[in-house]
Amino acid sequence: MLLRTAPVDAIRQSVPARERTLRTRRRMRAADLMIALCWSSVAMAVALYLAYGGVSQVTDMASALYAGGVVSGLVGTNLILVMLVLAARLPLIDRVVGQDTAMVFHRQLGKPALYLILTHGLLLTIGSALADSSNVIAETVALFQRPDMALAYLGLGLLVAVVVSSVVAVRRRFPYEVWHLIHLLSYAAVLVALPHQLSVGGVLAADTVQRVYWIALYVLAFGSIGLFRFVVPIVRSVRHDIRVASVEPIAPGVVSLHLIGTGLDRLQTQGGQYAIWRFWTGSTWWHPHPISFSKVPTATSARITVRSLGNGSSALGRVSPGTRVSIEGPYGIFTAAHRSASKVAVVAAGIGITPVRSLLEYADLHPGEATVVLRATDLGQSYLWSEISALPSMRGNAVFAVMGPRPAGLATWLSAEALGRGVTIQSVFPDLIDSDLYVCGPQSWTDLVIRDARAVGLPEQQIHVERFDW
Amino acid sequence: MRRRALALSILSSTAVLAVGWQLGMQAQTQTQTSSLSQTTDAADSAAPATTGTVTPTATGASGTFAGTAAQTRFGNVQVQIAVADGTITDVTALHLTDHDQRSVSISNRAAPVLRQQVLAAQSANVQGVSGATYTTDGYLTSLQSALDQAGL
Repeated sequence: MLLRTAPVDAIRQSVPARERTLRTRRRMRAADLMIALCWSSVAMAVALYLAYGGVSQVTDMASALYAGGVVSGLVGTNLILVMLVLAARLPLIDRVVGQDTAMVFHRQLGKPALYLILTHGLLLTIGSALADSSNVIAETVALFQRPDMALAYLGLGLLVAVVVSSVVAVRRRFPYEVWHLIHLLSYAAVLVALPHQLSVGGVLAADTVQRVYWIALYVLAFGSIGLFRFVVPIVRSVRHDIRVASVEPIAPGVVSLHLIGTGLDRLQTQGGQYAIWRFWTGSTWWHPHPISFSKVPTATSARITVRSLGNGSSALGRVSPGTRVSIEGPYGIFTAAHRSASKVAVVAAGIGITPVRSLLEYADLHPGEATVVLRATDLGQSYLWSEISALPSMRGNAVFAVMGPRPAGLATWLSAEALGRGVTIQSVFPDLIDSDLYVCGPQSWTDLVIRDARAVGLPEQQIHVERFDW
Repeated sequence: MRRRALALSILSSTAVLAVGWQLGMQAQTQTQTSSLSQTTDAADSAAPATTGTVTPTATGASGTFAGTAAQTRFGNVQVQIAVADGTITDVTALHLTDHDQRSVSISNRAAPVLRQQVLAAQSANVQGVSGATYTTDGYLTSLQSALDQAGL
């Protein structure tokens, strides 16, 4: 009998491959659990009402409207608390689905939550008016005079302001800072609504399990916001004492900021991640900048590279050395840890090179494992290109440059010249199906790359995108 | 949404709702029982009367005084106080909000709390019970009229 052993090479490669599969599976399970948890919390809000015996009180039109109002208030508030948790930058959520995906979900919940809260007010007013055989206006006045109700109306007003200011068309009219300031009012809106929930309704009355659960939800939402958006960033910023060492212009409008600090390796930044930075000068401190690491930090130094997009980021080229810098992060799942396939395909355009540079630096790549396509309209956009091919991990891996403008009137991410040669996503990445595709560049361009990848049949978990538009 | 996430969500949400429903049904049975005894109590003291004597002494009034029934949108509320030498020694609820089961359960919960508060404060100037606004309002209105009768 002949005992066969696997060839040495196969063993060496199969271990990380299996680990990757396991990790991907674990991550997907966690994501599914989070989604289920989210919807179960909505069900829980309804169950609070059921357990309180609400259904048995529905006897006529007025009580039915009243019940509907109470339930929509519970569900709407629950959704807002879920939104707060999604925006809290919980490390677990960022690791599993990524903060940007969480924020997409957060944005989707905004309007439904507002509509539910408006329904809540409307149904309760009409229901009470019917029960008292009075009119809606008189009932509103009566409701307003009950304890804690003035605060509740204030919360409703704030909520409307927050959601309206976040509607895309309206949001564009404000500078980011103004919008952000209005958005912070949502904390106040949810908080001032709490007293009337506890005192006016019967569902959350004193000495009930419902009340304990509801307050726990509030504590969870506000606790995670307080901890992960305020305490952790402040502690990190103080502990690492980050300062600007030098500002290196690398192209018109593009600068690399070299930072120094203590114990920066303890941030455990993975290549491809970003952080939200604040530069503490008089004119820039109030503007947070999400900027990717263009180099994996060492113990004492880090480098980030940024292209001026808004007013704030053009001021970054003028920050003087020694400026204190605070950090929120690192965040992001544009990393090698989120790989699920055996090969790596990377496409970067313009300043999108930044996270790609640190991703490739940090990734443990074998020769022939990765293929990189760098895209630019002209030589002036080829930021950091020379660094890519010089990375030790890129030894034995191909880097292609696709330069030139896109053809007019055709939706493609390639240059007119490359298209003319018959280049497609499959011809540059022959093993695309067995690859993780990492895309970073302008949003509309990124969408076109993903469109082509999906057309080839690349599964969603193998597509990794870093968004630069927020 | 992935299929597994959807299945999980539906499953757990259904379970949560079912438990909620079950608890609600149990609570309802309990309320029915207690509302029954409530009705009996009210029937026993159907004809409340003021039996106290207002004695013009320094120590104050003694006896029992029933307040007028206060009307709320969830039913009438009427209380009776027992006074000894100008001190409220007991507050009895003759009638509480009973518009539906919800008001019965709320008032059953609120009445003992209100009684404690009144006995402690020796007046109608108390905090009240959150989640039982109507009961509180009615209770304190009726109480005040009883206090007025007793000259307190």
